[in-house]
Amino acid sequence: MLVIGGGIAGIQSSLDLAEMGFKVHLVERLPSIGGKMTQLDKTFPTNDCAI
Amino acid sequence: MLDVGRHPNINLMAYSEVENVEGTVGCFKVRVRKKARYVDEAKCTGCGACTEKCPTNVPDLYNEGHSERKAVYSWFAQGIPSTHAIDTDHCRVFQGKKCGICQKQCEADAIDFEQQDTIVELDIGAVVVANGYTVFDPGKIHEYRYNALPNVVTAMEFERFLSASGPTHGHIDRPSDTAVRRRIAELEKQEARAVKGLARLEDKHGEKSEEFYKKYSSGRLEDSDGLKQWAEKYESYLPIKEELTTLKRKAENFTTAKKLAFIQCVGSRDLRFYPFCSGFCCMHSIKEAVIAHEHDNATTSVIFGMDIRAVGKGFDEYKVRGSNNSNITYRRSRVAEIVKGSNDNPTVVYEDTRTQQVVREEFDMVILATASAPADGVAELGELLGIERNRFGFFKTTPTNPLDTTKEGIFVCGCSHSPMDIPESVAQASSAASRAVQAVLLTPEKLLKVS
Repeated sequence: MLVIGGGIAGIQSSLDLAEMGFKVHLVERLPSIGGKMTQLDKTFPTNDCAI
Repeated sequence: MLDVGRHPNINLMAYSEVENVEGTVGCFKVRVRKKARYVDEAKCTGCGACTEKCPTNVPDLYNEGHSERKAVYSWFAQGIPSTHAIDTDHCRVFQGKKCGICQKQCEADAIDFEQQDTIVELDIGAVVVANGYTVFDPGKIHEYRYNALPNVVTAMEFERFLSASGPTHGHIDRPSDTAVRRRIAELEKQEARAVKGLARLEDKHGEKSEEFYKKYSSGRLEDSDGLKQWAEKYESYLPIKEELTTLKRKAENFTTAKKLAFIQCVGSRDLRFYPFCSGFCCMHSIKEAVIAHEHDNATTSVIFGMDIRAVGKGFDEYKVRGSNNSNITYRRSRVAEIVKGSNDNPTVVYEDTRTQQVVREEFDMVILATASAPADGVAELGELLGIERNRFGFFKTTPTNPLDTTKEGIFVCGCSHSPMDIPESVAQASSAASRAVQAVLLTPEKLLKVS
């Protein structure tokens, strides 16, 4: 399996596929995964920490 | 994030790009280019000793350019993988200068300036595309003067200001004030250097520079090279001192931003740019206003929007809570213009649609809720994968199969499908994973070539 993009969607997809027993290759353009969500301080509507 | 790095079934290829995709479902052949980090992944422990000593400062894009990082860096502190990378556009070694400090500092001997890109060939059953979105560049909307006014920022920049690990450590300092403070620090360094130089001359001649300069400029002293040099040095010191005094006086009155304006639909629901609604920005602005109020209870916010779209479980309650507890006012209007006001404050010009009056109101800071645009490089990726895009630039799907692209075995989720918030992205990501598994399981065994 190939997942392109290591943001929150790509991470979730990869984890689900990996849990199902598939070998996953996660490709991310930037040096670290996490995407836009890591730039967020807190998330609505519960004000939970994003990371 | 950490789980991805640890999971035995996941091969994490950060700093990599897909170069070529061939084949059909069950037997895609994919070529991935792992870009050279110039840091050995197997050796780097992520300790950051290289970053500490690196002499080159580069604007930090993770903080939207509001702080600086080094040329050898990790994308952000808790990044996975924690392996650092060298920015070849700025690193002194790659600019042909002498350096290599990081190499000397690295105890793990991980820095390798000779590293090359590596190409990896993969056999793939199905592909999930989750390349996300890009923040719309508000500079395109000239009437908002994003590029001209320092205190007009995007929602993502404001998010970094709110963050305790961000450029302002969670204090909402206005960018114009930060620029002044930075200039003061710069001038102080220059002043210290100039004073040191002058002190040497003062010691030599046994006279204060000020007194000497008075005599020298009135022509009471004989002209000589040494004295001329001293006078020139003193002359170059004077403007530094003057600017420093003015700026320091200005900086005494600086406070954090207390009166905020949030402008909705910047680039979205706008026929000139993106006609669609970006979905999450209304809630994003409300959240930022709530957090800003949490940081400082004196903060008041006005959210300018055509309507507030709080669509989701608990979202409307959050909005009401914001106005009741967090000093948020919702104003139904479309802002016409942002102009320069006094004291670097942006002035918002808008029509209040309830009173039908044109109003000019000054704010400490204006935050633009920018549209979420298709990701950079989405056209190239679409071509590479052989999948079509819709008229907005996102990947094309049908309402009955919202995760299936126009090519069998390639699925899409999150903001590369359309703008959506985090819970929706996560839900879609799980669905796309299931669809990918279905596609592989339904492929006839003789075709299947998955490692």
